[in-house]
Amino acid sequence: MMATTDRAMDIAVRHATYVIFAAVLIYFGAQVPSFLMPESLANIVKQSSFIGIAAIGMTFVLLTGGIDLSVGSVMFLAPLIAGYAMRELGVPVPVGFAVALGAGLAMGLINAVFIVWLRVIPFIVTLATLFLFRGFGTWLTSSTAFDFKEDFRAFGLSSFAGIPTPILIFAAVAILAHVVLAHTTFGRQIYALGNDREAARKAGVNMRLVEMKVYMICSVCAALAGFVLIAQIGRLDAGFGEGREFDVIAAAVLGGASLFGGVGSAFGAVVGATLIQTVKLGLVFTGVNLYLQPMMQGAIIILAVLADGVREKRMQAMQKRTIRSMTG
Amino acid sequence: MTALLSLNGLGKTWFGVPAVSDLTLEVAEGRLLGLIGQNGAGKSTLMNMIGGVVQPSAGGMRWQGAPYRPQTAGDATRTGIAFIHQELNLFTNLSVAENLYIDGFPHRLGLIDWPRIRTRSTDILKRLALNVDPDTQVGRLSPGERQLVEIAKALHNDARLIIFDEPTTSLTPRETVRLFETIASLRAEGRTIIYISHILGDVQRLADDIGVLRDGRLVDSGPVGDFSVQRMIRSMIGRDLSGLFPPRTGAPGTSAVLQAQSLTQPGVLQDVSLAVHAGEIVGLFGLMGAGRSELARILFGLDPCASGSVALNGAPVPKGIAARIAAGMAFVTENRREEGLMMEAPIADNLALVSLRTFGRGLLAVMDTEAVATRTEVTRRDLMIKAGDIRTQPVKALSGGNQQKVVIGKWQMTGPRLFMLDEPTRGVDVGAKFEIYTLIDRLATEGGGILMISSELDELMGMADRIVVMNRGEVMGQMARPAFDRERILSLAFREALP
Amino acid sequence: MTVSPVQRRPMSDRAADLFLSDYFILYMSLAFVAVLAPFLPTLVAPGNVVNVLSNMWPLLIVAIGQTFVLAIAGIDLSQGSVIAVTSVIGAALITLVADPVVLSKAPLWGIVVTETGGPLARMTGGVFLAICVMIAIAALIGLINGLAVAMLEMPPFMVTLVSMMTISALAIYLTQSENIAQLPESFVRLGKGDLVSVYFGVKDTSQLPRKEVFSFITYPMIIALTVVACAHILLNRTVFGRQVLAIGMNRKAAEISGVPVRRVIVLVFVVSAICAAIGGLLYAARLEAGRPTLGEGTFLLDVIGAAVIGGSSLFGGKAKIIWTVFGVFFFVLLSSALSAMNLSAFQVDMVKGAVILGAALLDVLRTRIMRERAR
Repeated sequence: MMATTDRAMDIAVRHATYVIFAAVLIYFGAQVPSFLMPESLANIVKQSSFIGIAAIGMTFVLLTGGIDLSVGSVMFLAPLIAGYAMRELGVPVPVGFAVALGAGLAMGLINAVFIVWLRVIPFIVTLATLFLFRGFGTWLTSSTAFDFKEDFRAFGLSSFAGIPTPILIFAAVAILAHVVLAHTTFGRQIYALGNDREAARKAGVNMRLVEMKVYMICSVCAALAGFVLIAQIGRLDAGFGEGREFDVIAAAVLGGASLFGGVGSAFGAVVGATLIQTVKLGLVFTGVNLYLQPMMQGAIIILAVLADGVREKRMQAMQKRTIRSMTG
Repeated sequence: MTALLSLNGLGKTWFGVPAVSDLTLEVAEGRLLGLIGQNGAGKSTLMNMIGGVVQPSAGGMRWQGAPYRPQTAGDATRTGIAFIHQELNLFTNLSVAENLYIDGFPHRLGLIDWPRIRTRSTDILKRLALNVDPDTQVGRLSPGERQLVEIAKALHNDARLIIFDEPTTSLTPRETVRLFETIASLRAEGRTIIYISHILGDVQRLADDIGVLRDGRLVDSGPVGDFSVQRMIRSMIGRDLSGLFPPRTGAPGTSAVLQAQSLTQPGVLQDVSLAVHAGEIVGLFGLMGAGRSELARILFGLDPCASGSVALNGAPVPKGIAARIAAGMAFVTENRREEGLMMEAPIADNLALVSLRTFGRGLLAVMDTEAVATRTEVTRRDLMIKAGDIRTQPVKALSGGNQQKVVIGKWQMTGPRLFMLDEPTRGVDVGAKFEIYTLIDRLATEGGGILMISSELDELMGMADRIVVMNRGEVMGQMARPAFDRERILSLAFREALP
Repeated sequence: MTVSPVQRRPMSDRAADLFLSDYFILYMSLAFVAVLAPFLPTLVAPGNVVNVLSNMWPLLIVAIGQTFVLAIAGIDLSQGSVIAVTSVIGAALITLVADPVVLSKAPLWGIVVTETGGPLARMTGGVFLAICVMIAIAALIGLINGLAVAMLEMPPFMVTLVSMMTISALAIYLTQSENIAQLPESFVRLGKGDLVSVYFGVKDTSQLPRKEVFSFITYPMIIALTVVACAHILLNRTVFGRQVLAIGMNRKAAEISGVPVRRVIVLVFVVSAICAAIGGLLYAARLEAGRPTLGEGTFLLDVIGAAVIGGSSLFGGKAKIIWTVFGVFFFVLLSSALSAMNLSAFQVDMVKGAVILGAALLDVLRTRIMRERAR
């Protein structure tokens, strides 16, 4: 029934990000062949881990049709609390790691309580907690940079079987998130809820529980993202993470997540974050003015959003009621 | 043999108005009950009570002899009752298999057991002869296939009673044939079915027993052999209609206000031609999904139309909604809440919405608030909208009838030549209906042309000068007032040949 | 039924009236001042009042633009970047001297700016012309945002997010992240504008006590109040404003009623960008420089937060200019009180967050009361 060109178009629209990704790789590879060397590719993945991990968490929230603006502050505050625990209380790095995740979980719980139980819209709640968490953090540090202990830094720069720890963590989060989203009841319920809340309620989905969990997962991922990046730097600046919520959302959307819910995947978020990093690094390789990079990023995101719109339109056209068969 | 489901004196009252009253009915196990009735006869309220969506205010239900009191939709599902609605409850972003299992996935080692789901889904789909992969996303299926998925869900839940509510409205003829085969095989498995439809021929063909609802009561029932299509129609209507409608005060003129020529839009309309004259009320009748609202939307410029022409007062209609409004078109849509009113806004703001531009003064188009106040007040009085201060009272605080008057009023303020009214009395109580009829009559007497769409044949027969009947996007025929013939109209609408 | 509810009714009714009133946030602000004034005399000191007001005006203008977008259930994240890019270009056009050491790498160098300053620097009416250019650029950005939202039906959040990223990058690129200072006096005066001295012809600053009293009358104030008045008329009293609110309340109904939905949406984004440019103009004048990082960070969240505290809804259809005025007033007052308490920026952030949350909860409550009343 569908013409071949139409089908090709359909596939291109459905996998727009991958198509763009391939084009970007080919383009930069042709310009600077060393760009495709394993080291530079590994470097891209390592640098993507920060935004990527947070974008995976954001995907959970976007799937339900919500939004979380507080991730930038969470990725600041959670490692900070862990840093205090490690420096002042002298707890070892693994415990510090757990403290960071616990702090993220607590922040996610705060968001969730307001969104799920008090029914304030996610945009406002997370806008407010964005200020709250950051304010709390800067209060702890008195607006100065926070230096971590050396052993923490060693953790960030360590590698396992030749693979840098950040990449391992990134991969682990991606796989875990994929398994949760694709292979558990909870994951499939997230998709159902994002597609049709009313129908999900009728199908017996515990909406409140699912939404609570989703915001908690998002904050834990943001905390982890912050922790992993800070471990590489060893120092937490006062403005760390500021404005990052937009990068995270952009990566998730670029990876195919829809702001209207119901569409998106963990691997999509990985691809989105990596694509942004690829473009960034590619522009560095090709010597494009540093300040122009966000513009290229913007262009790529807008392409992905356009593709999303086209995809949505096609879906709607398919759902439209036909009164008589097209053949008459 | 005990009945699978029995209803005993069941009743439901909405704000003092009974929707279903004293309904007693037995659904025998393994049989197919065809349930028919006009719109508003109480079918959907009855279904909602069986489905646990609303609770009855009188009487009770029994399932296999034991009391059955569903509190939620889940209770009905667990009992073994499944609903196949016109609007499907499927998640379009999930696969067919996932839709079957969404309320309880089987697990293995803490993860969803996909192999098991796939084999079981494939089995069920095979039983329904639905040849799609269980991993296919539902969003990529046709309406007919989606419906079969919904039936597959019922089989998956091992439903013993499956209720079909107007299942064929969005299906192609081929898909309809397929559905009927499926229903036949469900019966062969011994499942009990309630089949609700406006398409009487289908009901007659499928059912073992017939039940006719009218005004919330079961007025006629028996084995299908006793029911001719004529008897069904007679039982569905069977009421004296005098006094329900105001007398017509004017007579139709001869100059055409609207002239539509062979409108065709693939999948929607096929060669539709229609004329409305000054002072004439043209009733547009058809079943749900016959293409009536779609025709009105195309005439108004809301939806695209591949070919054909529309003329207003002899001149071709301009492009765009605003231009058509300026040319004298008005469109009261069937969905008051979603397309007609700003529910939170004051009545006056709603009344002024269509004619906003005429209130603009000067270069900046500053609103002439005094003119707004006086003209909306005139309209309020004119239409007898029962409200407090129209400048502050929000529309949502009004009754359905008064809300509808606000919608009509906002169009009347533009002085239109052609009034298209889609289901103008839906959700309006009897007293307010009369007032709206009076209003429609007056609009016509003042020289406007009226295209009145309704699924209530009675009100068209009471109001219209001419009735045009549509079915599946085509005009099936028309007749003028003295020659109105209820059975002929219905047979045109149902596309049934009467003996 | 017992008697007591009947007796209690008028009291609770009056309380509810106050609660639901347009002026609720203003009352809250005044109560806030009244409570804190005895403990914090500096809060009501003339100097501080002047300070509060001068912080308020530019933010207010930007927030008013945002209010229009919120009214159609949209959001405009690009306002901050509009401020950045217009301030840079405007400053480049009128700067008197540019330092080649700093700016010679900037793409603007040689085209717009040279060592002798911008092309409009010494022209009569040059400042005015530069302002016109700034507003035109803003209008163009708004137009692009609006067209993307209205014609391509992309979500406003993503469209304006991308323009935020792109345009602030452009602003930084244009000057290679350098500020452009040395602006003409006639432009800088717009940021402070000592009107009283102009009116009375007194240039001497150390002179009159009266001058202290009137020193809150500044150019930003006059510009902001003009924008408030125009915006109020535009949103409340014109056909356009009614169309904006109608789209926010029920887009489908508006479309069927002949409202040119797409055109209105485009115009709303243009209005928002122009307001951002005017606000940015005042920021740049006060800073005496065009700065490519102006309006970055949490600035935009301040804007949206202030509008929402005022009572405008993110779901559209519910927006008033005076609400935004009060919201911004409250926001600025709060920041000022907190800094008067010697709290630092971060504690201000925390309280800001708590206040936004509180305002949102109040709104949930207000809506519930209103719904019960309508019944």
